[in-house]
Amino acid sequence: MSTTRILTLARRVIQQLAADKRTIALILFVPLAVMTVAGILVRSQSSPLSIGLVLEDEGAVIPLGNRQVNLGQRLAESLGSVSDVIQIQVMPAAEARARLDAGELDAVITLPADFSARTVAARELTIPVEYEGSNPMAAQLLAGLLTRGAVQTLASLSVIGGATVTAPPVHLQETYRYGGAHFDTMDYLAPVFIGLFVFLFVFILTSVAFLRERAAGTLERLQATPIRRIEIVTGYMLGFALFALAQALIILGYTIFGLNVHYTGNLAVIFVVEFLLALMAVNLGIFFSTFARNEFQVVQFIPLVVVTQILLSGALWPVEEMPAWLQPVAWLMPLTHANRALRDVMIKGFDLIQIAPFVLALVAFASAFVVLAAQTVRRGVNT
Amino acid sequence: MVYAVEINNVHKRFKNVHALRGLSLNVERGITYGLLGPNGSGKTTLIRAIIGLLTPDSGEVRVLGTKMPNKAILSRIGYMTQQTALYDDLTVRQNVEFFAVVGGLNGDVRAAVDEAIALVDLTDRANSRVRELSGGMKQRCSLAVALVHHPDVLLLDEPTVGVDPQLRVQFWQHFRQLNAQGVTLIVSSHVMDEAERCDRLGFLRGGLLLAEGTASELRQRAGTATLEAAFLRFADAAVSSSQSPVASS
Repeated sequence: MSTTRILTLARRVIQQLAADKRTIALILFVPLAVMTVAGILVRSQSSPLSIGLVLEDEGAVIPLGNRQVNLGQRLAESLGSVSDVIQIQVMPAAEARARLDAGELDAVITLPADFSARTVAARELTIPVEYEGSNPMAAQLLAGLLTRGAVQTLASLSVIGGATVTAPPVHLQETYRYGGAHFDTMDYLAPVFIGLFVFLFVFILTSVAFLRERAAGTLERLQATPIRRIEIVTGYMLGFALFALAQALIILGYTIFGLNVHYTGNLAVIFVVEFLLALMAVNLGIFFSTFARNEFQVVQFIPLVVVTQILLSGALWPVEEMPAWLQPVAWLMPLTHANRALRDVMIKGFDLIQIAPFVLALVAFASAFVVLAAQTVRRGVNT
Repeated sequence: MVYAVEINNVHKRFKNVHALRGLSLNVERGITYGLLGPNGSGKTTLIRAIIGLLTPDSGEVRVLGTKMPNKAILSRIGYMTQQTALYDDLTVRQNVEFFAVVGGLNGDVRAAVDEAIALVDLTDRANSRVRELSGGMKQRCSLAVALVHHPDVLLLDEPTVGVDPQLRVQFWQHFRQLNAQGVTLIVSSHVMDEAERCDRLGFLRGGLLLAEGTASELRQRAGTATLEAAFLRFADAAVSSSQSPVASS
């Protein structure tokens, strides 16, 4: 062991790093940027879960004290105060249905005209609740809170009655608009992963491939042939998109058959989204390869381009629960649209028409990136 | 049309370098034209201007009568860059085939690819990946790529740098064969002994054409025994004349 040699080598490593100003900047800046975004998301006051309450209960006379009681009304009151996490809105059945379909409500509780009467007769509190269901975690949370609210309602009744009776059992009669009781967190995350892997790998592969094309001089050689810039970009897209679709096929197959993730939608629609994601990633890769001098610098773009985007894309934190000012930023991320589209297809079984807004947004992103990439192909040439 | 390449008063300035300063020269068809000059004399810039990879600030470049840059005419031009510029992961055949099609080859691709690979004597390595080849083999593959689409004009930027003497002789044999087929070659070099083999020579220095002619003409005009000495003589003359205001940029 020679200290001199080791120290000399260490010094060389430092000299090399110091010579690469952008690496230094990225080392310092990227972690701060990523942590800032993560901090905002984690600490943000998450918006409450919205419950639509269809209150048709006409009340009933309860045996204890022989008084007229509207159990539905009481339930609504205790649910409203049980936790900040839920927000109860009373609304007509038609409105509740429409808003649940649109994903604006997390659950709808329908208390029919004979709710009180039936409860008294059966000596059992049965609450019919229909969850939106695309986020199984939200449904789980709601189930707990609803039960607590119901138990409170019953407790208040027994006090009014002036006598202690054994509280009747509470029972949630759960149905799901989308998904189902058998959907778990993995069902919620899997669609996002499927999109993410395609995006990530295609982005890395293209940026490295194009970087090599520049460094090796083959791009210059290509420019000296009749091939046009748009042809180069399109060729890259086609080549990588095929790879991406093959990858998507394998991931999807394993997700569904290996990991038993549920899906309800049309798989062909998923591939449309994957295809668009791949096109975007190819062009982003070409674009970013312009700013990288070597493979290391490509790797440094990953936290910036990919990690920040994952955080903001609603993959882990739903966009709707982000602070209001951050939501527009989230929708500027292509992955946000892809995630939403993939979830809508896999969990809600939406078709291409229903996810059209997100698909169109992806098409718009992809087109913009094609222009961007075609412009950057020129760089270093014809100066 | 007599000339394969016409360059007329071409200027090109980069941020801090005036790479070409009003350079003019014509290259007849079917000959090998040598561009000679030290590093930084403007050889590569000139070649890139000829092929249209850069647009002159002023002046005009015509190849086969067509004003450059022009995408369509590129199928009739071959370009061998200073770097070997090949796809390392692909085989010799895959590389040559790719550039044959992209280069706009008409007709039988397979035959043209086989022919180009045979010409550079790589037939038995045709299915080797480029990364496995020696430096000289890569150079040969690069030449095959440049000429596979049967160009009428072939631009070779320092094609024999790092090439061993035996291979260099082979390269020049290929060049002569191509001339015989009517192909015009423009070869840049800073090796003077190579220049002897060219039909005509242009001495480049500081983005200007110092002198032009056959090797023997140039030696004669300079009154020197070697091309090297002739180059230095012309360079000295240019320096003294650039004291006058005419030649400045």
